[in-house]
Amino acid sequence: MRKSRSKRKSNIHLQQPTTNPRDFQFMITKVAVSQICKSVGFRRSRVSALETLTLVATKYLETLVKSAASFSNAASRTQSNILDLTNALHDMSLQVGFMGASTLYDHNNCLLKSSALESLSDFVSSTNEIPFAKPIERAKERESEEVNAVPGSFQERGGHIPEWLPRFPDVGDTNENCDKRVNGEQLWENSSLVLGCQIDGFEEKRCGSNNVGKLPKGRSRIKFRVNNGGGTRVGLNVISCNNVFGQSKDEEEAEPVAVCEKSVKSEEKQILVYKRRKKRCQFL
Amino acid sequence: MNHNPQSSDGKHDDDSALSDFLASLMDYAPTIPDELVEHYLAKSGFQCPDVRLIRLVAVATQKFVAEVASDALQHCKARQAAVVKDKREKQQKVIYLCLLSFLISFGLSDPLLEQDKRLILTMDDLSKSLREVGIEISTLPLYISLHVLVSITK
Repeated sequence: MRKSRSKRKSNIHLQQPTTNPRDFQFMITKVAVSQICKSVGFRRSRVSALETLTLVATKYLETLVKSAASFSNAASRTQSNILDLTNALHDMSLQVGFMGASTLYDHNNCLLKSSALESLSDFVSSTNEIPFAKPIERAKERESEEVNAVPGSFQERGGHIPEWLPRFPDVGDTNENCDKRVNGEQLWENSSLVLGCQIDGFEEKRCGSNNVGKLPKGRSRIKFRVNNGGGTRVGLNVISCNNVFGQSKDEEEAEPVAVCEKSVKSEEKQILVYKRRKKRCQFL
Repeated sequence: MNHNPQSSDGKHDDDSALSDFLASLMDYAPTIPDELVEHYLAKSGFQCPDVRLIRLVAVATQKFVAEVASDALQHCKARQAAVVKDKREKQQKVIYLCLLSFLISFGLSDPLLEQDKRLILTMDDLSKSLREVGIEISTLPLYISLHVLVSITK
């Protein structure tokens, strides 16, 4: 890395073929930077120094462009213009200094009159043109191939979407399969709590057993008969309800008198009162 | 509001100067090719349909590199001038002048000035000029390798 390399273009040869695209750009930039150094007056350079200068030039370009892009984004634009670029140029040149840097943000300061742009125009007019030495493998052919390969191209999506964004995902068919979820989950609007008849597609994770939320299809009329004897309290517990009801030993019509729904904490069984009454009669 | 027509004229001048500059940019081919600049623009998220701005970015980078390189050249020349001064003090001036006249008669230049042809961009000069721009570069000091040490002691 310490050996000197001549700046003459005939002696610059790429030792190894670069397959890495990052190396390829770096090599091209190195050739351009060495051309600039030769125009300044250098005849030879150390390899490490040349690579350092190339890296610095690359980072300068990227930083300049990034700050211009962020200036335009701050103004809620996606495309940058010369004013953004001028502001970015000012930011980059503050260390070195340029004329008018102290009055940059005065109220009557015009960006287009900036001395940074003037110095750039002087540079363009004064220095000779240095065309790039080596022919670059035209990347445009590669790009055109890529463009043809991408189906979601400019014409299909419209001009408002930049081409470098990936294409939209396939929406696919609007089958019923799209509505069904992985574990059989369902929207609560479609659950049986609301509809009252659908048992399919229950979220079994939430309910402890299969019977929560199940309501009988039709609700019949409910009659309550309270007896004075027994001293039992009327509670919400199903068993006590049944006691109250069960003390009348009359044979009643086998109609579902009440179906008390339990709270979620207790065990839940669907209880048909008339069945229990038969059993209770044995204990009483 | 009296200054308005003047300022609008001033703006017209600035606009015309700027548009002239941008038009001249299209004639000037910057050293950094357009494709390379476009690649870096795409990498950094700079979207611009205008080709002149791409050239502007390339010219700005070229100007920056040229400034750094010319600063490094100044450092290099200053160091060589100091070396040449020492050498001239050590030599006897009479012998040197005879030699110089002999060489000039043959059309050759001053041999001590030939060091200009050997202007080499080194890390020392580069780090000095980059420090002025605000970029700090630290290089590892060069150590003499074991083989060289062994050969010197023998």
